[in-house]
Amino acid sequence: MSLLDEQVSVPRRTMTLFFLIDTSGSMEGNKIGAVNDAVANVLPMLDEISAENPDAEIKVAALEFSSGVNWLYSEPKLASDFVWQDVKAGGLTSLGAACAELSTKLSRSGYMQSASGSFAPAIILLSDGGPTDDYESGLNKLKGNNWFKAAIKIAIAIGDDADKDVLKQFAGNSEAVFTVHNIDALKQIIRVVAVTSSQIGSKSSTAGDTTKQDQVVEEVKDAVENIQGAEAATAVDSSSYDDDWD
Amino acid sequence: MAELKKGDKVSLTSGGYVTIEKELGRGGQGIVYLVDLNGEKKALKWYLNAPDDKFYKNLEHNIMSGAPSAAFLWPEYLTRKEKGSYGYVMKLRPQNYFEFGNFLLAKKSFRSYSAMLAAAMKICNGFMMLHRCGYSYQDLNDGNFFIDPTTGDVLICDNDNVMPQGEKSGIMGKARYMAPEIVAGGVPDKYSDRFSLSVILFMLFYANHPFEGAKVVACPCMTETFEKKFYGTEAIFIYDPADKSNLPVRGIHQNVIRRWPAFPAKLRETFIQEFSQDKLKNPNTRMIESLWEKLIAGIRDTLVRCPHCGEETFIEESSKCMDCGKDIDSTHRLKIGTRSVILTKGTKVYIDNDNIPDAEVVAHPNDPSKLLLKNLSNSNWTAETPSGKIKVVEPNNMMPVNPGIKITFSNTHKGEFIQETNN
Ligand SMILES: [Zn+2]
Repeated sequence: MSLLDEQVSVPRRTMTLFFLIDTSGSMEGNKIGAVNDAVANVLPMLDEISAENPDAEIKVAALEFSSGVNWLYSEPKLASDFVWQDVKAGGLTSLGAACAELSTKLSRSGYMQSASGSFAPAIILLSDGGPTDDYESGLNKLKGNNWFKAAIKIAIAIGDDADKDVLKQFAGNSEAVFTVHNIDALKQIIRVVAVTSSQIGSKSSTAGDTTKQDQVVEEVKDAVENIQGAEAATAVDSSSYDDDWD
Repeated sequence: MAELKKGDKVSLTSGGYVTIEKELGRGGQGIVYLVDLNGEKKALKWYLNAPDDKFYKNLEHNIMSGAPSAAFLWPEYLTRKEKGSYGYVMKLRPQNYFEFGNFLLAKKSFRSYSAMLAAAMKICNGFMMLHRCGYSYQDLNDGNFFIDPTTGDVLICDNDNVMPQGEKSGIMGKARYMAPEIVAGGVPDKYSDRFSLSVILFMLFYANHPFEGAKVVACPCMTETFEKKFYGTEAIFIYDPADKSNLPVRGIHQNVIRRWPAFPAKLRETFIQEFSQDKLKNPNTRMIESLWEKLIAGIRDTLVRCPHCGEETFIEESSKCMDCGKDIDSTHRLKIGTRSVILTKGTKVYIDNDNIPDAEVVAHPNDPSKLLLKNLSNSNWTAETPSGKIKVVEPNNMMPVNPGIKITFSNTHKGEFIQETNN
């Protein structure tokens, strides 16, 4: 009996969900309000997924970037411990600096130091514009990071001014970029992407051939069909036309 | 994608309809609703995106064939294709059953070793019946098993992915629970199921994963590529006597470190065999379910109540209680074929594999040093004394545990009391 009573939880890996949030001046008003509302509301859902999951616990980290970059907490936190402080909009869009900063933290000396190891992280990038800094050097640094390579990466383009080509470069392909055209769609997609990538990212992978990234993209695509004002990448990728005709 | 709402009616292929009452839960594939079917509460699994026709036909077939055993929360009715999707109706899961994952997270634990062994027996039997019906279980993971911590009774859920052997449902289980050849991309069959069964049983007994030791912990980032290695091509059992590179780690794999030496040797030997490199690579040599049942029955025969402290304990060569350390008289035995059931006061005896105790050892009311066996079953036993007298032991009646008495419990189960000599 005593042996049964002494049982402890199986060791769990950690899956960190990163929010990279564009808080430049153009996000001011409804957009930033919707982001604050959506993330605060999704945290309890992530907590629930984590609590029932014998494979991994989920932690959350959030980086806002405008003229500079700022982590909301100096380490990833369990969703239940993550008190969302509303982020404010103002300034430029230092996406390159954000990528470089993320790359520093995607290391065992940075945020990925769980004793029983980690699963590959899930990273959600939200932006409504184009980078105002030299994003390429930051992004290239990030793309060389092994944690980033293995991560689930989804980008959410807020409105048509978002630089989808840059978002595509970040997420790896245009399929992983989702566009929203109104505030309600923005809130919904944040929830869907955060929940789906946490669910899939925090579980031991399935024995099939599809990658976790593909599974997340497929599920989000299905969900997007029912969100008014949200769209998955379509066959017509307008950014490619722009490139060609510039 | 089509969600349903309270009051919606969904019609069944068999006629009639169910009415949606509320959502019970949701997963990647769909939503489970509490529904009303002619005044009876049932569960409806509703797919958010209707799977293809083949899947629908397979469900229809499985419903027609019926559940392989009582362990399965099996689809009972199929809905028509309407409201943008379809689903199936099954029984509601009772409240006292908890996801296996909750046991792994130590939110729930077995109340007794008997309950633990009952759960193991029920799972083996479920798999045996599933294979007997020609199916294989494809979507195996810790979310499919629900267990009552008190009785050890098991319900196996999410049986919509059960397919005839040789076919692939497209919905695959977790790499952690799948056989190496499936992790590498093969089609699940009874051999791969047998591997999954041994993983589930190992986790049920030892509350850690059989392949997660030092090697796996040392991997900082468990990517999909690494999972394919650690559960597939390079899987190494944590107690593989031939390769000690993946031993459990103190402070991390506490449960298995404590339980491995304490639990019966037969269990250790079996897992060492089943997780040997040879069996990992040769699926058809894996142990069949009936032998697992026999093993579990054999272990149950050595699980007794300690007459000193009243706790359960396994008796092996040493007859000391695992709990209080006192010596237990384990000389009184009931031989059933090759089995040797140890009889101590308070021990329940399981003659067959149905997890219902058939007898209990009690002390003689006038002479506590003498043991009696009480008939807990519904049928008469016939006993033959050493001098050839025939006695009938009715349900709830008792008989002395005297060496030489032969008992017929049923046509298939006959036993004899013996007394082993103490060395
Ligand atoms: Zn004792």
